[in-house]
This record gives sequence, structure tokens and C-alpha cells, in this order.
Amino acid sequence: MEVLLGIQGKDFVLVASDALAITSIVAMKRNHNKTRKLNDNVLLMFSGEGGDSVQFCEFIQRNVQLNGIRRGYPLSTKAAANFTRVELAESLRSRHPYQVNLLIAGCDPDTGVPELYWMDYLASLKKLPFAVQGYGQYFCNSTMDRYYRPDMNLEEAKALMKKCINELKVRFIINFSDFVFQVVDKDGIKEIKLE
Amino acid sequence: MITFFLVLLQSGNEYNGGAVVAMVGKDCVAIASDKRFGLELLTLATDFEKIFKMNDKCYIGLAGLATDVQTLSEELKLKCDLYKLREEREITPKKFAHLVSSTLYDHRWGPYFCEPCIAGLDENNKPFICSTDLIGCINFAKDFVVCGTTARELYGICESFWEPDLGPEELFEVISQSLLNAFDRDSKSGWGAVVHIITPEKIITRHLKTRQD
Amino acid sequence: MALAGEDFCIVAADTRQSDGYHINCRYAPKAHQLSDKTVIGTSGFYADGLNFVKKIKQRMEWYFHQHDKTMSTTAIAQLISIMLYQKRFFPYYVFCVIGGIDENGKGCVYSYDSVGNAERVQYQAAGSGNELLQPFLDSQIGLKNRSNENETLNLTEEMAIKIVKDAFSSVTERDIHTGDCVEIYIIRKDGVECQKYPLKRD
Repeated sequence: MEVLLGIQGKDFVLVASDALAITSIVAMKRNHNKTRKLNDNVLLMFSGEGGDSVQFCEFIQRNVQLNGIRRGYPLSTKAAANFTRVELAESLRSRHPYQVNLLIAGCDPDTGVPELYWMDYLASLKKLPFAVQGYGQYFCNSTMDRYYRPDMNLEEAKALMKKCINELKVRFIINFSDFVFQVVDKDGIKEIKLE
Repeated sequence: MITFFLVLLQSGNEYNGGAVVAMVGKDCVAIASDKRFGLELLTLATDFEKIFKMNDKCYIGLAGLATDVQTLSEELKLKCDLYKLREEREITPKKFAHLVSSTLYDHRWGPYFCEPCIAGLDENNKPFICSTDLIGCINFAKDFVVCGTTARELYGICESFWEPDLGPEELFEVISQSLLNAFDRDSKSGWGAVVHIITPEKIITRHLKTRQD
Repeated sequence: MALAGEDFCIVAADTRQSDGYHINCRYAPKAHQLSDKTVIGTSGFYADGLNFVKKIKQRMEWYFHQHDKTMSTTAIAQLISIMLYQKRFFPYYVFCVIGGIDENGKGCVYSYDSVGNAERVQYQAAGSGNELLQPFLDSQIGLKNRSNENETLNLTEEMAIKIVKDAFSSVTERDIHTGDCVEIYIIRKDGVECQKYPLKRD
């Protein structure tokens, strides 16, 4: 019942995650952070089983950071995504696989090339221009298909994101009330507001 | 969790969908796949190729659960490259087929949910194709091999269209028409196709535009 | 399977009757002539098929006595749909196709699911080999995926019979439930002809 969204624009990735922590039928928290910074330019967003997802993502976060320290330069988005995939794929065949669905958004600090990766709990990794994780897929993919352009600027991407969020508000049974919006570009990751 | 694996055992091969076919021609082989990537009936991407190059004369197509397609393709590429470093020659398709088979059988009791089709030319440029099941039982074929959710449709149409000693261009036409007409009757495959023709001199790769439904 | 041409129609069915890996009978006709303008092909549960055909013939006879004319193909098509739907919650386990000549003298094919959903089509495959057959028909008769979109097919009887034979030989090769012999009913304006063509018996 969680939703993650991502839109890759011309030189940035705009992402949104709901801020709702749910246990059974209870909304436990309305300002839950479902993202982790892997390094200055790569953001990992997760949804799935509560404990699993935080545990797994923090494990990935620390290893990506360790890798950056050891080598002296940070992991690229692609490398981080593939590292995550291998870890999740190995866990899939273990006794207790992590039940976690991910979006990985990143932007190369030198070239400014944005990248967005989609990965499910089975560890199928796919690079996509726009991606939705969770039930939101059934509501937002069509909206994205219709309005998405690869050369979008931030304002246009924000407008599209608003359309998607609105679609969820109108059609999805859960009231998310709050979303966290973040932009990943070559200058780093920053939280923004969709006015 | 246990139920999840039981579900996978039944439908692992049908979760993401896909179609792969390989055919023998006269001094050439062809291998083709669709490009859909989906979750059951939801299509997520239409640029997901299921054919991987192992070397200039050996390709493998993997249809099945996408995560295993990715894992297995990477594992096999690694093994092929290590073989090349150790033996200082390229692996032949037949040896590669046995490598695939034993790799799959290593996971006998927790298999990779994908069925490979292998196509290539051996050291004498003789065409070779084969397919295996998900635990590595090899099927050496002289005509064509198919796998994926579209397997039945492909069997029917390939049986009608294929004939011996087709040249590269004729083979391209036959494999394309077979694949296109077959996956148009399968809701889990389609959305574009890619065809590779392997000849002793060169590899011809073509992307086909198809109906998007 | 069945396919329609301009002024003729073909209904063809193999004659194998099997149960799992076991062959019960090598000559058990699945295609039946209903009138001199209509032929039905049934697949699925053989006993249901036979009984269903018997019921149709009975209803046709009542119709004949009541209205003093044989039922037209379109009327039979509607009747079959109704008869199947009447048993919606305990269906006949049959997947049938009918082929014939309609009131305008044109070839026509109707295909059904087991609960009576009917559709008029140009060609249709049904039964255990339908997935194997249908794409072939799409390509050869439906002319799908051709580079020249304006291509039209002038289907002659000889061509149609050739396609049917090719199709059945191919399906026999890969489908264990199909084989032995195929009966090809050719329905023309002036009557029905039945040809038999042997298939692989393995």
C-alpha cells in the first residue's frame, strides 16, 4: 500500500515517496522517510516489509559508502544499482529473502546525466524513464505514458508529478496526505515542495 | 514466504512473460526474442532484450523470470570470459550448452526460472542450436528451438514455416514472421522484437517494429 | 478448425480421440454435417460433443417440421449459442466451430467458447492444437504482419485445402492429441464434400 514515483528529466530525476508508515490497518506515522542517500548523487527509495526494507537499504547504503571511501571516488548510479541487484538476488535464494521494492535515482556529478532504475523484490532491475513502485503503478503509469517527454525541465516534471499524485488522491483508496519530493541532479539531492 | 515460492514454482516462468526462438539455416543460425518486460499483465518496459552475446559465434536467449534472466546471463558471461582467459580460445556453442546445462543443474532444488535457447556456429562454422529446460536437460535440435510463454504458438508456426537450408535473408524472414505471428496471440509477449543472424562473416542484428498491444 | 472463402467454406477436424497419453480411437469423427450448407466441428469432451451434435440435429428437425424449411447457417449459429448458454452453470465441455454458407451465398465461420460466446470470423482454430494453429492461420489467411498492408488474399478452394493440410501436418508433429487422419469438409453452394487425408499416427 505504499507508493514511490520517479521521473527522469533532461538533467535531473524528480522523485516522490509517500510518508505513511502502515502496520496492518493502522497508520503509525505520517512523516516516515522511505529514502536513503547512497552517496551525494544517488538516492535509494524503498517500499515493502517494514523491517526488511530499512535493514536492507541501510546495509546497501553503508556498503556503497564504504566502497566510495575505499576507492576514493563515489559509485555511479549504474554501479550502485547493479550492486544492489546482486545483493537482493543473492538474498532471494536464501532462507529469508528481503521483501523490498526499490527505485534508485541518480545523476552523474560530472556529466549531469540522470538515471532512474526500477527494481522489485525479485531483483529484476530495469532502467526506466519514469517509474512507479507499488499499487501506484496501476494508476500512474498511464498518466506518465501520456504526458512524459524525455526532455522535460523541472517545472514540467513537477506538473506531471502533480497529475500523478492527484490521480492517486482521486482513485486510490488510501489517503497519503503527505509526500516527500526530492530532486537528484548534478549538484546533489535536495528536498523540494510541490506548491 | 513458503506460499510465495510455491506460487513461483508454478508460475515463475510466466510472471514476466517473453518469447525466444532460434533456427538453423544454411551455414547460419538465427535467434530472436520479443522485447517486453512486464509483471504478469502489466507492461513496464518495451526495451528488454532477452538475447545475450557470449562471443561472436555464440548467443543465448533466456525467457522466464526477469531476475533470473539477468542473474543467469551475467553468470554465464562471466564463465565464458573465464573460459576464454584460461583456454585462450572462444567457447564453442556445444561446450557452452553443456556449461549452461550444468550451471542450471547446480540449482536443481531451487532452480533459476528460465529456459535458455542457444544458437551459434561451431569451430567449423557448422550451425548449432539447442534449448534446455529450467534444470538443464538439453534438447539438441536440427531445425528450431523455442521457449517462453509463447512456446506453443511458436512450435505450431515454426513447424509450418521452417525448411532446411535457408540462406541468411530467407532465415531472417522466416524467423521474424514466425515470432511476430506467434506473439501476437500471446498477451505476455510482444512490444517489439530483435533478431540476430549469425553467419561466419558477420552478425546481422535487426530490430522489428511490431504492434503495441 | 474452420475457414471461410468467398463462396465456400472449409471445416476440418482430425479423428484422434485420446485421454491423456492414451489413444482411445484413431477414427472418431469430430466434424459432423448438420445440413447441406452447414458443418460443425467439436473438440473438448468427446461424449459431450456427440451429445451436443445430437441435440442440435434434433432441434433442427423440429425446426424443419415447424417451418417446412432447413435451418440456415446463421440460424444454427444462433441456436448453438443459445443451447450452450442454457447450460451456463453446468456447461457442455465442447469448443466448437461451425462453417457453412450464409443466406447471401458467402462462406462463414462462427466460433464459440464452451458457454456460448459466439463470434463470426473468417477463420478459427479450436481444441488442443489451437495455440499452434491460430498464428499460422493469422499469417496465411489473416495476412498479419505483412509489409504491404493493402495486400489482399483471393482464397481459392485449392489454396484453402492446401493450407488446411499443411496446418494439420504441422500440428500433428507437435501436439500429441492431434493425428491419425483429418477429415476436410468442403461446403459449396451445391452441397458438401468430405475428403480424408491421412496424418502421422505416432
